[in-house]
Amino acid sequence: VPLSAMAAYLTHQQKVLRLYKKSLRHLESWCIQRDKYRYFACLLRDRFDKNKDVKDMVKATALLKAGEEEFWASQHPQPYIFPDSPGGTSYERYECYKHPEWCLDFWHPSEKAMYPDYFAKREQWKKLQRESWEREIKQLQDETPADGPRTEALPPARKEGHLPPMWWHHVTRPREQPM
Amino acid sequence: MDQSLVLSTFMLLTLATLSTPIIFPLLSDSLKNTPAIITSTVKTSFLISLVPMTIFIHSGTESLVFFWEWKYIMNFKIPISLKMDFYSLTFFPIALFVSWSILQFATWYMASDPYITKFFTYLLLFLIAMLILIISNNLFLLFVGWEGVGIMSFLLISWWHGRAEANTAALQAVLYNRVGDVGLILCMAWLASTMNTWEIQQATSTAPTPTLPLLGLILAAAGKSAQFGLHPWLPAAMEGPTPVSALLHSSTMVVAGIFLLIRMHPLFNNNPTALTLCLCLGAISTLFAATCALTQNDIKKIIAFSTSSQLGLMMVTIGLNLPQLAFLHISTHAFFKAMLFLCSGSIIHSLNGEQDIRKMGGLQKMLPTTTSCLTIGSLALMGTPFLAGFYSKDQIIESLSTSYLNTWALLLTLLATSFTAVYTMRMILLVQTGFVRIPPLTPMNENNPAILSPITRLALGSITAGFLITSYILPSKTPTMTMPPYIKMTAIVVTLLGIALALELSKLTQTLIRPKRNPFSDFSMSLGYFNPLAHRFATANLLGGGQKIASHLVDFSWYKLMGPEGLASLQLMMAKAATTLHTGLIKAYLGSFALSILLILLSTYQT
Repeated sequence: VPLSAMAAYLTHQQKVLRLYKKSLRHLESWCIQRDKYRYFACLLRDRFDKNKDVKDMVKATALLKAGEEEFWASQHPQPYIFPDSPGGTSYERYECYKHPEWCLDFWHPSEKAMYPDYFAKREQWKKLQRESWEREIKQLQDETPADGPRTEALPPARKEGHLPPMWWHHVTRPREQPM
Repeated sequence: MDQSLVLSTFMLLTLATLSTPIIFPLLSDSLKNTPAIITSTVKTSFLISLVPMTIFIHSGTESLVFFWEWKYIMNFKIPISLKMDFYSLTFFPIALFVSWSILQFATWYMASDPYITKFFTYLLLFLIAMLILIISNNLFLLFVGWEGVGIMSFLLISWWHGRAEANTAALQAVLYNRVGDVGLILCMAWLASTMNTWEIQQATSTAPTPTLPLLGLILAAAGKSAQFGLHPWLPAAMEGPTPVSALLHSSTMVVAGIFLLIRMHPLFNNNPTALTLCLCLGAISTLFAATCALTQNDIKKIIAFSTSSQLGLMMVTIGLNLPQLAFLHISTHAFFKAMLFLCSGSIIHSLNGEQDIRKMGGLQKMLPTTTSCLTIGSLALMGTPFLAGFYSKDQIIESLSTSYLNTWALLLTLLATSFTAVYTMRMILLVQTGFVRIPPLTPMNENNPAILSPITRLALGSITAGFLITSYILPSKTPTMTMPPYIKMTAIVVTLLGIALALELSKLTQTLIRPKRNPFSDFSMSLGYFNPLAHRFATANLLGGGQKIASHLVDFSWYKLMGPEGLASLQLMMAKAATTLHTGLIKAYLGSFALSILLILLSTYQT
């Protein structure tokens, strides 16, 4: 999967953008009505845009520091957190995602005997995954442009009898809710 | 026909019907439980429990049933006795009606949960424990019910045990209830030693009761009913699913503490100190909870603080020496509070898990029945004339204004009543009216009989319950019949002021002014800074003090300073002082020889 590589430090652009998003979210927690929020959000965007073209990194870092301090002073004590985000009301409610699928291989035979249909088919699925892996990788290598992938979207299967790339990772992805 | 026999039989039949879904699956493997079976069982129990209540209303029959007696020691016996008086006969149908509606709602709400049968079994076990608590005449049996509801509360709050906050909240509930239990056990011990019985029947005394056991009872009620000081567990208990919040933490379990005080009321009659303590504690709780509810943004937390505030009001009523009025408030409160929780559950599920009122708005058009019932419940909560809450709340405020008591408690309660109006209006305005703030493409459909019939049934109850109960039951203490008009209108004027304030504030939020933080809103939003202070301060000091005692006092002082290391450091000090003499100069050594010879000569010369 083409990952966006995370370095050990944040660039100045990343820090400014994170400050902008944080302050927008806290502004949304303060200004409940959407039209009022949009008004103050435009004002905030204008404040950020005024200093967009500062080329001197010392001044830019000083502005960022002042911005962070202003954010800290005026943050909302109970910011709006999406229900499934960390700290939200539905976060970690079900424990489905916490166990990867290869744990199933480590079950004791007596436990595996409780679900005979699934485990009978599981070996066939794993064999299928091993066989098609080479073809999937070859398809991805052929289709990726020379200077790196443009998007994170995966291509579909191109030929008859082939499986789409990374299908196993998609099929065994963590569930949000139990069956 | 012997009416008390019929009465007792039907009450016992109610309890037996409720325990059938627990017992039958144990007996045979083919009788499996389903949520529908449990719901219909509770419905049948409700219908059966209407019979004894009708008999009581018709002829005033009460009954006392006596089971097996546990001959613990020679002269202290614990009979398992059940008292079917006004309180238990009226509360049974109400609790069963509310539980039936909640269970029917839960068949829709928890439909996607893999362990739904276990959930329903837990709710049923809770209900049985609560009814044992209500009907028991013996403090031992009451304690069994008390602990039973505490345990089921723990299991149900941590239903989604994958969440760390849910587990913390469940532990909080258990620990705070435990602190209250200490008080209850203290009172039981006093009762056993002075009156040699745990029967509530025999707990009357004409002489003034000593204050200590009554303090224990008040502590027990404070722990179970979330009065100020032991209150943080109630908002935290909103981590449980909405049916749990509706059943336990609004209608039934949290009133167990107040119910205990109502049962043990004869002991309180002669002790004005205890009554004043109840009054002040109740007044502080109701104001504190109402203040905290003003700035909450989670719909369940607003309703939780509202429950806490109403429980404070019930405690105020107990402090006014009016147990029947407190019971009336418990009964009417059960209806509209459960309905508020069910409406909020319907809204939450329709918005796909969203609980923050900042992301709700304009739901009146999309969920008409739910929002109408939300409005009815809120109006009942505010004490709108002739809805359910009016009959109990208005009488409480009237009695408070006309009695020779603490003016300060009166002012706090009136302020809390206006705050009730403010936060309820805020909730209604932000949830139902205004523009839509929910994410687009949210499909919502409330046309499911599993949602609509419980909510409408409880709405009917919220409108008529106060009227019905007060028309059939005469008050045992005469309320004040005449009072000046300004006292009669206090409650409604205060509520109207609160509503006007809320409307003004909401208009203010729509103007283009940046909202600012101020100390009052900070106090309200951080729940009075109580949680971090109490949780961290107390535990850090206790554990740190214990650690200091163990390591500094015992290890360091006794074992080291008084023993080997102290001795060694003393020696070292003296040796260091002595080494200054080891200079290596011959003259110094010759000097020391001369000094020692002189001393020997002098000493021999003396003798």
